[in-house]
Amino acid sequence: MAVKVCFSQLSSCWGCHQSLLNAHLGLLDVLPALEIVYWPTVVDFKLASLEARENGEVDVGFIEGLVRTKQDLELTKLTREKCKIIIAFGTCACYGSVPGLANQWSIEEVQNRKFMEVESATTKRIPDQHVPGFVDKVVNVDDIIKVDAYLSGCPPRTEQIVGAVQFLLGQKGFPMNEKTFCEDCVLKESNCLLDKGILCYGPVTSIGCSLKCPNKGDPCVGCMGPAKNTSEKVQKLLDMTKSLDYISSGDKKNLFEFLSLFLNIPLMAGFDLSSDILKQIKKRGKPDTPITNMPSITTEIATNLLAFLAKHPEFHEISNVCQTCPRIVGKGTMTKVKRDYEGLPNQEDCFIEQGYICVGPITKAGCGGLCIKVNATCTGCYGQTEWVTDQATRFYKTIKESFNVDLSKEEFFTQVKDPIGTFNKFTLASNRDFN
Amino acid sequence: MVKEIIVEPITRLEGHGGLRIVIGDDGKVKDAQFNVTSTRFFEKFCEGRYCEHVPRITTRICGICPIPHHLTPTKAVEDAWNVPIPTPALKLRKLLINAKQYSSHLLHFYALAAPDFLVGPFADPALRNIVYVINKMPDVGAMALKMMDFGQKLCAEVGGKSVHPIAAIVGGMKKPMDEDARQKFLKMVPEQVEFTKKTVDIALKVIEDYWEVIANVGVVPTYYLGMTNKGVHDIYEGDIRVVAPDGKKMDYDVHKYLDVIGEHVPAHSYATHTYYKPAGYPDGIYRTNCLAMTNCADKMATPLADEALKAMKAKIGTDPIHHTFAYHWARIIETVEAIEVIAGLLEDSDICNPDCKTLDIEPKEAEGIGITEAPRGILLYHIWSDADGICKKLNLLVATNHNIAGIEKSLMHVAKQVFEDKVLDGLKLPDPWIK
Repeated sequence: MAVKVCFSQLSSCWGCHQSLLNAHLGLLDVLPALEIVYWPTVVDFKLASLEARENGEVDVGFIEGLVRTKQDLELTKLTREKCKIIIAFGTCACYGSVPGLANQWSIEEVQNRKFMEVESATTKRIPDQHVPGFVDKVVNVDDIIKVDAYLSGCPPRTEQIVGAVQFLLGQKGFPMNEKTFCEDCVLKESNCLLDKGILCYGPVTSIGCSLKCPNKGDPCVGCMGPAKNTSEKVQKLLDMTKSLDYISSGDKKNLFEFLSLFLNIPLMAGFDLSSDILKQIKKRGKPDTPITNMPSITTEIATNLLAFLAKHPEFHEISNVCQTCPRIVGKGTMTKVKRDYEGLPNQEDCFIEQGYICVGPITKAGCGGLCIKVNATCTGCYGQTEWVTDQATRFYKTIKESFNVDLSKEEFFTQVKDPIGTFNKFTLASNRDFN
Repeated sequence: MVKEIIVEPITRLEGHGGLRIVIGDDGKVKDAQFNVTSTRFFEKFCEGRYCEHVPRITTRICGICPIPHHLTPTKAVEDAWNVPIPTPALKLRKLLINAKQYSSHLLHFYALAAPDFLVGPFADPALRNIVYVINKMPDVGAMALKMMDFGQKLCAEVGGKSVHPIAAIVGGMKKPMDEDARQKFLKMVPEQVEFTKKTVDIALKVIEDYWEVIANVGVVPTYYLGMTNKGVHDIYEGDIRVVAPDGKKMDYDVHKYLDVIGEHVPAHSYATHTYYKPAGYPDGIYRTNCLAMTNCADKMATPLADEALKAMKAKIGTDPIHHTFAYHWARIIETVEAIEVIAGLLEDSDICNPDCKTLDIEPKEAEGIGITEAPRGILLYHIWSDADGICKKLNLLVATNHNIAGIEKSLMHVAKQVFEDKVLDGLKLPDPWIK
């Protein structure tokens, strides 16, 4: 049965939709499985048709854009009412994105610039007829309603969005096999890793991989996705997942890997093992999203793992852009803060150690380093890895610890003339100091 | 009884708006409004940012045409600081903006407009969309997707990201094109040229089918605003040209834009109504983008496009062309030019020349203006820099915005035709291609 999907567009640029449409031929695989009930960008249904739906009738609502107008606010609430699952789609919906920078001023100052003061304006007034009015400050969607999953990025990568949709549809990259990996395992007769107390996901994983991790003594981490059945060892695995506190740290690492590969979460979370989406699932201890077609015992195992993660925030380490950056660290030293118009950075070495401010160290991974590949610094569009108020200080501390930086804190901040635009460009709406 | 017809939201467009038509007791159209219901105040929150970072913020104005919003403020800052750019950078920028023109125009034609022509303007709203077109005309659908994909991938290659590019910098480009990439895209060109020719055939058939509509509905005399490079069609370099309803052409230096363009702030729309200042408001309401551009240009920049322009002028027989539905035709003519320009630039190995940025740049206290032609109209940035290169003030005349007053004027015209003159009653519509 087609999954009912709604795309609600708040104040925005359309870029997230463009990123989805950039799948182009890939759309042909995804679209037929969706029943689009509202998507003004592409489909002609009007708002009244969404209003007329039953509450909770729509399976998934993608909310894109930021809450700038009172109409945005109403549409956000309406979408929540109508949908079972809400995905904050893109950095605007997650963190406010660049329009959140307007929170430095009052709404009156902001409106006056556009409608009363601009040099080309001739008749001047604040429009007030048949227009919705503005909210005083840009707020995050999850300040208004409960959000089930976050898909950040400005825009999120095409692969991520398609991955998210496929995940929700229960579509997998690999066909599910009847048999499990155990049947193919060199250790099945003797020395089974599970018998030694090592978490191995062979009993629930499809047969057919070429890597065969147990050949070199490592457990199966579930790359092939779920099998249609489970092996006789599954009870052992299930029991182990009920008492995870006693597993080794290596097992815990494998547990991340298993979840991300097995549940197809990494695509959805920007290739990040413990990004927001996973966090959300962890919080509730069970995956609410319709993970279809898995044997019930497999779902139970996954649920146990997620519950474990929910209780252990120390495992929620979020990868940052530097971890996906190919540039070499350790060759140069930042002795002066350079502006982006100065000179031209070489394409091999770390921007920071060439003197440029790149906020990769404090920014969530997931983009694949697209900016870095064309010799442009990261400015943080996927959001920050840690939510503290003062990102500027956190940035300085991070680069001082991990990179060659020969500048005192005072010298550094004297040379950064626009700390808000540099360190909070995409997330100012999430910063309580400006709300 | 007064009757109000409200369309909310307008679908298959980028942005937010509704239509409101008021019909009086006497059956006469009293009012026709295009209510643009959102704005995000980029004019304000770019204040205080580094001038060279403004182009990394303003891309978020539009996800379909972020490339002009990246290049135009870059030009404005270069104008303010008096920075030249090396020739390879100029070529890369032209390649980038034409790749965008190509994918955007095709998105518009196939995904946004074609469903009306191919499925029929009065078809079931559940079917009148690109998804249905793809299902019913898979060959055309696949071709359209491959064309958009080519344009977007080329944007991503040169700009770093197709949505919200980052590769341009004050003084040039951050990186030249790689030779391998140039060869890869060059190989794709012949197929794209073939696709473009097929698209021209489809467009001509649609024009033939809908000739009565094109010739009779929405023929609205207005001014036109575009840019030309000394009379020749150009979307990256040039100055402002205005065409009067009677066909008189007037050229203006971009620095004189405040003498040419005024913004009337209506009470019922957050998007202002721009108009040709010497003619006053509302007499000076103009239209922009493809048809305005072909009305402005003495000739197209490339041979096939110029032939196509001559064919359109011959068929319609007026100069300027006031036929609103001819916009679709003009859009295809611009698409032809875009692929011809792309082909020429990809042939030129200078786009791989590492001399793509001026290295010594000094900010200064000055103002600068930049224009380009975005897919939906002229785009103008006016930036004020302080001595440190911080943006003190910004004025924007955004492409889509230029069309608002013209759309409202066309809406009033068509509303009268439909509700007073009952033009639809006698109108012959062709059988839809998809039944």
